[in-house]
Amino acid sequence: MGEIRNFRSGNHDEPPPHGSMPRRLAAIIVGDIASYSRLMQADEEGTHVRVKRIERDLIEPSIVEHHGTLVKTTGDGFIAIFDSPVEAVRCSIVIQQNLVGRNASLPKDSRIEYRIGVNLGDVIVEPDDVYGDGVNIATRIEGIAEPGQVYISGAIYEQIKHKVVCGYESLGDRKVKNITDPVRVYRVLPDADAVGRTRGRRENTLIFLLGVTLLVIASGVLWYLLAQPSGRVREQAAAPTAAPVASPSPQPAPREAATQTPQPSPSLAASSPSPAPAPSASAPSAPAPSASAPSASASSASTSSPAPSPSATPFREPEMIAIRGGSFAMGSNDDPTERPVHQVTVKPFSIGKYPVTVQEWNECAAAKACGFTAIGKDDAPITNVSWTDAQQYAAWLARTTKKSYRLPSEAEWEYAARGGTQTKYWWGDKLQPGMAGCKDCGDLAAEQPAKVGSFKPNPFGLHDMGGGVDQWVEDCWRRTYQGAPGDGSAWTGGDCSSHVLRSGSWKNDSRYVRPSNRDGYDTNVRYPTHGFRVALSP
Amino acid sequence: MQIIRCAALAAALALLPGVAYPQGKTAPKDAKLYFITPRDGQKVRGGFWVRFGLRNMGVTHAGDEYQNAGHHHLLVDVNDPIDPKEPIPQDKSHLHFGAGQTETLLELPPGMHTLQLVLGDAKHYPFEPPVVSEKITIRVRQPVERGR
Repeated sequence: MGEIRNFRSGNHDEPPPHGSMPRRLAAIIVGDIASYSRLMQADEEGTHVRVKRIERDLIEPSIVEHHGTLVKTTGDGFIAIFDSPVEAVRCSIVIQQNLVGRNASLPKDSRIEYRIGVNLGDVIVEPDDVYGDGVNIATRIEGIAEPGQVYISGAIYEQIKHKVVCGYESLGDRKVKNITDPVRVYRVLPDADAVGRTRGRRENTLIFLLGVTLLVIASGVLWYLLAQPSGRVREQAAAPTAAPVASPSPQPAPREAATQTPQPSPSLAASSPSPAPAPSASAPSAPAPSASAPSASASSASTSSPAPSPSATPFREPEMIAIRGGSFAMGSNDDPTERPVHQVTVKPFSIGKYPVTVQEWNECAAAKACGFTAIGKDDAPITNVSWTDAQQYAAWLARTTKKSYRLPSEAEWEYAARGGTQTKYWWGDKLQPGMAGCKDCGDLAAEQPAKVGSFKPNPFGLHDMGGGVDQWVEDCWRRTYQGAPGDGSAWTGGDCSSHVLRSGSWKNDSRYVRPSNRDGYDTNVRYPTHGFRVALSP
Repeated sequence: MQIIRCAALAAALALLPGVAYPQGKTAPKDAKLYFITPRDGQKVRGGFWVRFGLRNMGVTHAGDEYQNAGHHHLLVDVNDPIDPKEPIPQDKSHLHFGAGQTETLLELPPGMHTLQLVLGDAKHYPFEPPVVSEKITIRVRQPVERGR
């Protein structure tokens, strides 16, 4: 349905026409001062001033720092909402720990102690209040919390248990006032000493393992020093860079095999050798030589010969193709999201010849820099990645290679996808088989995306720019190009809860293969047809 | 002994994502997915809000494996039946709300359109049995010329 324009709920910038009742999923913090009435009775003015000071100096800044919103303060408490449960709980812990410090010097009966409850729920957000079941449950949880404690609901616990490192004590299912279903409640134990034995045992195991590892390394070094003639050791020490494996930092300098690229040759689809199984888990310390040769023609020429076995270089840098800058008409009139057609000038850049592959991704995963280890063929494009996942890969690649790897901007992607053409597809206005992987592009429909480079390259030598896998780009999603930059840079800023996808996937029909096709998708959500390719600034 | 146990644990954790995903998570029989607005047959003009109602199940982010919780998908003018063995498609007529949204502002070209909600699980698969709303029909009127 090319004509549908979709507004993500967070993205509209005009008031809704039918009156607003914005619902959203939020982590709700409810805080309340224990024994407020007693404190007020003892010293009304003093207590009021102290509470206001705590709100101003501690609570409000903590909420802002953790990207939350203070919905309101009541006489003796506050309500805040957060997009992230992790941030909500961190914020609660920060508030409680700061209060401990403030209360330390005070006599016990004049301490101001908060009870805090945190819940995740669907709420109705009004400018100065928030409503819904989720808020009521947070209030009830706060009600059963001990002064100075943070209690959280089961929904919050499920979200943060592996993310916020502190202890959690299950208090079981609690029946709370006026809520039909019992609520699972956990007590947060931010203090490491208060954490139960489980944590201690886990830590001991880790320390034990660390000890064993260190011992093994130490004995290895000792053996090496003793067993080798001392002269050779000195020689090794004098020229450590001569041994590529020994160097822990990546070597960006081009090495002797600079013209060899580690990718299999995909243009020879019939006889293409599958890449040798490189030991990807072993130290990703020696980056393969860059393929970003100064001109596109040079790099694409090198692919016409079958690529050699890459087993010598365990680390694979994606194969890049340099694109000369230029000016082009971006967009089309085929879909409202692609309007208005506007002139864009892009600077020279390099872009991945293929989408990032499973093998390339898994090197990032092995380095613990990417979120998950993918299963699938080495030369299949990586899929089921969110925009955030793609950013993590690009950041890791940039760190490891010390080159400015990043996601392409939307303008760069379309410029590269068009390959200098202004036709409907890069090969013309008519669909042709063998050009792109999509549901009705003329080849058999498939369960999985074809391996990268299964289809013909476009005039710039790029494969799978259209069809195959959807590809994330740097830009925030906006429903039209109204106000888009003309300099080829990524259009970021604003509320950016969704980002732009390009290319269409093997599951979409041929309308999505067009180089001007675009769509938006939630930034942090993974979907099985979504992948990406990287770009490189010169 | 401890090392072996830890190694086994590490191996198990590493293999965890490889475990085949059981498709078709079960949904409670009384789960009900419905449109709060618009109602069936309603006439609208310009952009309009679509609000999603869900009873006896919860809304959560895509990727969250809670029991009895999922996220919304809005199908616009889709005539193909829902395939329970496949993830709900992602294209311009299958709108995803994986961040847990429960409403959206939709702008459709003038004419008749159908809307239907489908709840998806953590991996965007429909539930078993599928949790779907009735398919409603709305009519979008010609927009009034707005001076901007």
